[in-house]
Amino acid sequence: MSVAAAPARDGSAASTADLLVVDDVTCRFGGVIAVNAVSFVVARGELFGLIGPNGAGKTTLFNIVTGLTAPDAGRLRYRGEDITGLPPYRVAERGIARTFQNVRLFGELTALDNVMIARHVRTRSGLVSGVLGLGASRREERETRERAATLLALVGLADRSGERARNFSYGDQRRLEIARALALEPELLLLDEPAAGMNAGEKRALSDLIRSVRARLSLTILLIEHHVPLVMDLCDRIAVLNFGQLIALGPPAQVQTHPAVVEAYLGDSA
Amino acid sequence: MATFLATYDFLLVSMVLAAALALTLYLPLMAGQLSVASPGFYALGGYIAAIMSTKVFHPGPGLYPVTLVLLEMAVAAVVSGVLGLAVGVPALRLRGIFLALATIAFVQILGVVALNLEVTGGAIGIFGIPQPFSSQLQYMWLAVPLLVVSMLFVARLERTRTGRALVALREDELAAAAMGVNPTHHKVLAFTASAVLAGAVGAISAHFINTWNSRQGTFDTSVNLMAFVLVGGSRTFVGPVVGGLVLTALPEALRGVAGVAGLPPWLAEFLRDGRLIIFGVLIAVGTVFFPHGLITPTLLRRLAGRHRTSGG
Repeated sequence: MSVAAAPARDGSAASTADLLVVDDVTCRFGGVIAVNAVSFVVARGELFGLIGPNGAGKTTLFNIVTGLTAPDAGRLRYRGEDITGLPPYRVAERGIARTFQNVRLFGELTALDNVMIARHVRTRSGLVSGVLGLGASRREERETRERAATLLALVGLADRSGERARNFSYGDQRRLEIARALALEPELLLLDEPAAGMNAGEKRALSDLIRSVRARLSLTILLIEHHVPLVMDLCDRIAVLNFGQLIALGPPAQVQTHPAVVEAYLGDSA
Repeated sequence: MATFLATYDFLLVSMVLAAALALTLYLPLMAGQLSVASPGFYALGGYIAAIMSTKVFHPGPGLYPVTLVLLEMAVAAVVSGVLGLAVGVPALRLRGIFLALATIAFVQILGVVALNLEVTGGAIGIFGIPQPFSSQLQYMWLAVPLLVVSMLFVARLERTRTGRALVALREDELAAAAMGVNPTHHKVLAFTASAVLAGAVGAISAHFINTWNSRQGTFDTSVNLMAFVLVGGSRTFVGPVVGGLVLTALPEALRGVAGVAGLPPWLAEFLRDGRLIIFGVLIAVGTVFFPHGLITPTLLRRLAGRHRTSGG
């Protein structure tokens, strides 16, 4: 995987290599500017890290990309199309899947059902044909089940498909969320702190999992993570946010030594 | 057996109709939407059947043709469905208690309209609705198939793409939307299906009760339906069906128990006249200790498992 081309900041010169263009996006909550005129471009196939102290606006940015929060200004382009202000289900239909910082599984449902639900946009069967169990619907239902089982196996939860999601450990819930997101067959996967609450061994396994799904499913991944070694190890490029502003952008080695980053993380009084 | 059926014919048909009506509350609830609009569609369906059978078809002497009742049911279902769609699109933008309040208002508005229109018979209503059967028990020929078809529909629905989308919305609307489920589309779908069923039940009920007025399908019915679903269970379609059957029979059963000789007079009196208190306590206790109702998917799985092991 090569490091992506330099970001096209004006967005107008979007090349075919650009999958997601975040163009001058601003979002305010009352008097607080959560995201302040942020621009960057994620290239196709890239593993792009988003780091920054708590409250820097990383999750808000994720919510803006996935349509959960509308930006006050700026545009978002995905595969060259404007997706600003689309409702979340439309964004998902276009192939953007995500996990959540606080894990939002369907807790009462089994692991298998959680993953099957996310096949929604890749399946067609309607109310009537589904209820009547017509041939095409029946085949689709079987395929959905098989696909979901395959994805559970991929994240190492094959033997727990019948268990309710809320009974899973925190680390397993995060892996289940990844399986659910993958069921959408996304081209762009947004992972919001996937390693939170995991021990060192689980974090290593997660790194391996992210690497392998990225290669096997030719994914582009946008990753928020606090665990700096994981981000430095995985990502092609990293964007650093602080108080809603993009303060650094580049390959890990370069970002790590950037004076503004050091200051943001350690504070000037530290 | 024959005397039992003859004595309780009215109650038995009422139980089946109540179970079908309980499913109309369950359908939107599958998507996490507490809507109590279905008594309104039930009332509408009843008026459609009452008006068609007394003013449109002008039945001759003898039994009213069952095929016409089926036609009325179809018309009631379609009209209720269309109205459900029209009401559902704006109403389902509301959430939680606001949706519940809006649907209560909808039921009240329909009641007031029925009370003031000439075609609905105003305050008197429509009476002398023709009978398709020579005995009340024979209404089972309409009520039981309707309930069975509705149960099969919902049971199948729970295992389809659409049903999964509904349950996903109930569990976490935001996560469901992020997984590509269109919330409004699916909520309106469940609401409309509920209206269709309620309309059809109303059409049968109008003939069954023989008279239809603005006291049918009021807020009282909404409360009863909520009790059926809350006590019976809100996480599987079996819950509302059992809730509807049992809670409709319960007052009569208590009245029977009160007649047993040797009971202290105060207890007999309580069982006879205090059944509304018992009803209320049951709802309160049920919702506190069994928030998902008495019949849960876990319980059903356990029963199925035991049946399989004992059956070999």
